[in-house]
Amino acid sequence: MTSSPSLRDFITSKLAERGQRLVGDHDSLFTSGRLDSLAAVEVMMILEGTLGLDLSDADFDIAKLDTLAELDALVASLNKAA
Amino acid sequence: MSELTPKALPLATRIGKPWASLLAWRAQWLAIDKNPNAIGFAASKRGATLLWLTFCAVVALSGQVSPANQALAGAAILLVIHFPLRRIEIVTVASLVFFLARPFRIEQWRMLTDDLASTLQLPVPFEIAGDLLRFAGAVLFVVFAGAFLAYMRKVPVSLAARRPLLTLLLAWFAVFLSALIVPAGGWAAAALWTMTGIGISSVWMLAYAAADQKSGVAVPTYARASMARPFWGGGAEGIGKSWGYLSKFDARTPETLGATRLKALKLAVWALVLTGVWQGAELVFRRWFGLASIDGAVLAHAAGQNAGLIHSWASLVTSYLIDLLIIAVWGHLIVATVRMLGWSIPRNTRNPLASRTLAEFWNRYFFYFKEMLVDFFFYPAFVRWFKKSPRLRIAFATFCAAGAGNLLFHVMRETHVFASLGVMEALAVFQSALFYSIALATGLIISQLRGVKLSPDMGFWRWHVLPRFNVFMFFCFLKIFDDLSGNGTFVERAAFALSLLGV
Repeated sequence: MTSSPSLRDFITSKLAERGQRLVGDHDSLFTSGRLDSLAAVEVMMILEGTLGLDLSDADFDIAKLDTLAELDALVASLNKAA
Repeated sequence: MSELTPKALPLATRIGKPWASLLAWRAQWLAIDKNPNAIGFAASKRGATLLWLTFCAVVALSGQVSPANQALAGAAILLVIHFPLRRIEIVTVASLVFFLARPFRIEQWRMLTDDLASTLQLPVPFEIAGDLLRFAGAVLFVVFAGAFLAYMRKVPVSLAARRPLLTLLLAWFAVFLSALIVPAGGWAAAALWTMTGIGISSVWMLAYAAADQKSGVAVPTYARASMARPFWGGGAEGIGKSWGYLSKFDARTPETLGATRLKALKLAVWALVLTGVWQGAELVFRRWFGLASIDGAVLAHAAGQNAGLIHSWASLVTSYLIDLLIIAVWGHLIVATVRMLGWSIPRNTRNPLASRTLAEFWNRYFFYFKEMLVDFFFYPAFVRWFKKSPRLRIAFATFCAAGAGNLLFHVMRETHVFASLGVMEALAVFQSALFYSIALATGLIISQLRGVKLSPDMGFWRWHVLPRFNVFMFFCFLKIFDDLSGNGTFVERAAFALSLLGV
C-alpha cells in the first residue's frame, strides 16, 4: 500500500525515536502504548493538513486510526471519494 | 538450557559462578514467553492449569487481593482455560457477581451507605441493611446500563448515542444534585447517595462500553454492560477499557495464548517481587529511620515540628518512591489477571523512573488513567477547538485532559464528602487537588510545546541523567499536593514545599 507514504514515514520515525521496531500492518500503534498521544496528535494533524479530513465529524471514530492498515484504509477511502 | 551464555562466562569468573548462574536463570525466566517449549506447555490444558495454580499462589502470596476476589478471579480464569469458547459469558457472569458484591471502587462509599442504611431503621443489623441498599442500587445500575446501551442502539440519532459520555455525566450530576437537595436521613437520601456512589464507580467504564458499541465489535449488550465493572477490579478509570479494546490484544493462536499466559505469570511474579521491595522500604524507611509519609510530614511541619531539611526531603522522596511501588503492584496484578484470560494488554506501569519528559512519565506511570483522560477529554477537545492554531490547540486539549478532566474525575469520585460536610466545606477538601491539576496541566503543556528533542548524542548526563532527574523532581514535588483527604490545607502543603527549598 503506498497511499500514505508520509504517514508511514512519520510513524516509522516515531517508533524509531522510542526504540521500537516497525510493527505489522495490523498491530496497534496507540492503544498499545507503542506511540503516545502526542504522536497521535501529529498523525491527526497530518490527516487534517495533508488529506483534508475533518476529524470533528460526528461519524468519525478516532479509535479507527490505531493501525497502519486502518490508516491505509482511511486514506484509500478518501482517495476513492475524491 | 542451564549452560552459561558466552556473555555470562566472563561474568562468572568476575563475580563467582553462583551469582552468574543466578543471572543466567533470571535471563531464562525473563525470556520464558519466547521459549517455544514453555509456550507449547502453557498453551496446553494441562500446562495452563499448572500455570493457573502457580498464578493463584503468587497472587495469594502478594497479599494484595482479598480472598473473595481471589476465589472469583481464580474460578473465572480456570473456567476460561477449560471453556475458551465461553469466555464472554464467563467474564460477564464473573463481572456481574463482582459488581453486585462490590459496587463501589473506594471504601468511603461503602462506609457512607452503611451510615445511611443505619438511619432507615430496618429490622436488620445496619451492615446487612447497608448490603441490601448496595445490592438494590447495583441491580438498578445494571438495568440502567443495559437499557442505556440498548437505547443507544435503537435510537442512533439521540443525544445518548451521539454523545454517550456527556449524557452519562449529565445523568450522574442530576442524581448527585438531587442527593444534595433532599433532606438527610430518609429513604430518598439513602437511595440517591447510593446511586451517586455506584454511578461514579462505573460511569467511565460504561462510557467506554457505549463508545465500544459504536465501534461495531460484535458482543451482546449484556456482556458490554458488564464491562462497567469487570471482575479484575481496578479504579474507575478502567483497566482493559472495553471488549473492543481487549480484542485488539486477543491471543488468537495457541502460540500467542501460551505466550500471553506466560507474560501474565511473569508480571504477577514481578508484582510479588515489588511487593517485597515495597514492604521492605516501609520497614526500613518508616519504622527503622522513622521517616513520615508526605501527609505526616506536612502535618508535622504545620504543627511547628521541625524535622530538619534532610529528614523532610527523605520523607518526600521515599513516600514518592513507595507510592510508585504501590501503583505498580496494584496495576501489575490486574493486568496479569486480564492476560491470564488471553488478552495481552499493555502494563499499567512501565518503568516510570526512566521517563525523560513529563508526558512520557504520565504514559508510563498510570497508563490507563492517562488513556481515559486522553480518550474522553484530550481528543474530543483537540478535534473541536482552536483548529487554526496548532500550539493553542494542543495546550487547550492538554488542559482539558490533565487539568479539568483530572480534577473532575477525582472530585466526582470523592463526592461522598458532600454527604457529611456542607458544600463549601466539602469543596475546600479539593483545594490541593485543584492546584495539583493546574500545575500538572501547566507542566505537560510546557513540556509538549517546548518539544525538546533529546538524543543519546547529547552525552551521558544530558541524555540519561538530567532529563530523568527533572521529571523525578517535578512529580516528586507535585506529590505534596496529591491529596483528596483534606488532611493538611493547600497553604500547609505549599509551606512544606517551600520549606524543602529553604524558604
